[in-house]
Amino acid sequence: MLSPSVDNLVAQLSRLPGIGQRTAQRLAFHILSTGKEEALALAGAIGEVKERVRFCRECGNLTEEELCTICLDGRRDRTVVCVVEQPVDAISLERTHEYRGLYHVLGGSLSPLDGIEPEHLRIGELIRRVGEGGIEEVVLATNPNMTGEATAAYIADRLRHSNGGDRVRVTRLASGLPVGGDLEYADEVTLGRALAGRREL
Amino acid sequence: MGRTSKTEAVVLRSFRLGEADRVLHVYTADRGRVGAVAKGIRRTKSRFGARLEPLSHVELMLHHGSGELQTVTGASLICSHHEAREDPYRLAVGLVGAEAMLRLYTEQESNERAFTALTRFLDRLDAIPSRAPARPALDPLALSFQLKLLWLSGYLPHLDTCVECGAVEGLVGYLPSAGGAVCHACGPGRVSLSAEGLRGIRVLLSTPLADAHDGGLTDLGGRDALAVVTASYEYSGGFRLRTLSA
Repeated sequence: MLSPSVDNLVAQLSRLPGIGQRTAQRLAFHILSTGKEEALALAGAIGEVKERVRFCRECGNLTEEELCTICLDGRRDRTVVCVVEQPVDAISLERTHEYRGLYHVLGGSLSPLDGIEPEHLRIGELIRRVGEGGIEEVVLATNPNMTGEATAAYIADRLRHSNGGDRVRVTRLASGLPVGGDLEYADEVTLGRALAGRREL
Repeated sequence: MGRTSKTEAVVLRSFRLGEADRVLHVYTADRGRVGAVAKGIRRTKSRFGARLEPLSHVELMLHHGSGELQTVTGASLICSHHEAREDPYRLAVGLVGAEAMLRLYTEQESNERAFTALTRFLDRLDAIPSRAPARPALDPLALSFQLKLLWLSGYLPHLDTCVECGAVEGLVGYLPSAGGAVCHACGPGRVSLSAEGLRGIRVLLSTPLADAHDGGLTDLGGRDALAVVTASYEYSGGFRLRTLSA
């Protein structure tokens, strides 16, 4: 339809999550209409990120060095580790400014139907990390869906039976009503969880 | 021009789509297996909330557009089965049942008896005791449900007489290519079958799902039943269940 190189750009952009054919076309035309420097800066940033970014040796988060900035930060509470599925979940927790501990990124969640078993995730590394000592609490912050809950239950069980697991407190993020929402629109399961986890005022 | 319809369904599996959506594989009461998109379900303020988690028994409003996938426009819970999802052992048993449905019923074709069996299986799943660290694949409820699905799919193993010579006594093996048990003289079959296994399978097939745990299935009987189910899947359907290897 267009030139082969524009078609190729549209095809590449439409492979990105949340980008359909029309949005890909719009982005392609925007790139065409911008200056060469700006377009090459975007291409360079993609190349650089693929070249330099890797996983932190300690926690599995994204980093450009051997260890990520959170693991290197001496002001963080090193006795608490928060277990998340993906690096983007750690970013969400950081945005709260409520958490000052370390992270452990699993790289996904257990899903027997998709063939994702414990050995495909960084669960062994977490058990080893806890076994090395110094950690007093593991916060399980996997997603509150079926695979996330199953992963949390599996890790809690592994930790209970692991070396040093008896010294570690294992906690799970609370489930309940989203702040700012109306009670009448809450689904039965979420409302039930909120009721079960009610706290005294 | 699209149209919207209401149907009872069980969510068998779901996977992420795009930024905040999920694709659901559901088994419906009146149209069998259906694929549908639940838009925005992964957002914390989604109106679907936890209603469309796998194993949920729901009433869905589905919009049929021009595409292959339908769109979920509304969902109300009939039974969440969250008790089953929250226990790792029962969840594993439930996923065996869900995967069996996914592999045996791939078409958009109504099968009311399969749907009823699925809802009864899930209802019973909420009540069974957790038998961890036992293998969920050997749970009598999981085995009973799969044998009943094989029966409804037309793959029921013939275990009353030898499929080769008709002998009633001395059955020692199972031959998937012949669809049933074989005697010592015609055997040995691809899967060896003990007397406990034969008895266990017969009991699991002849009693309701609700009584699967009361049939006195032994460990050996359970292993034999699992071997027959697995061999039937491999020979008749050409597939293996991932959840059975856990």
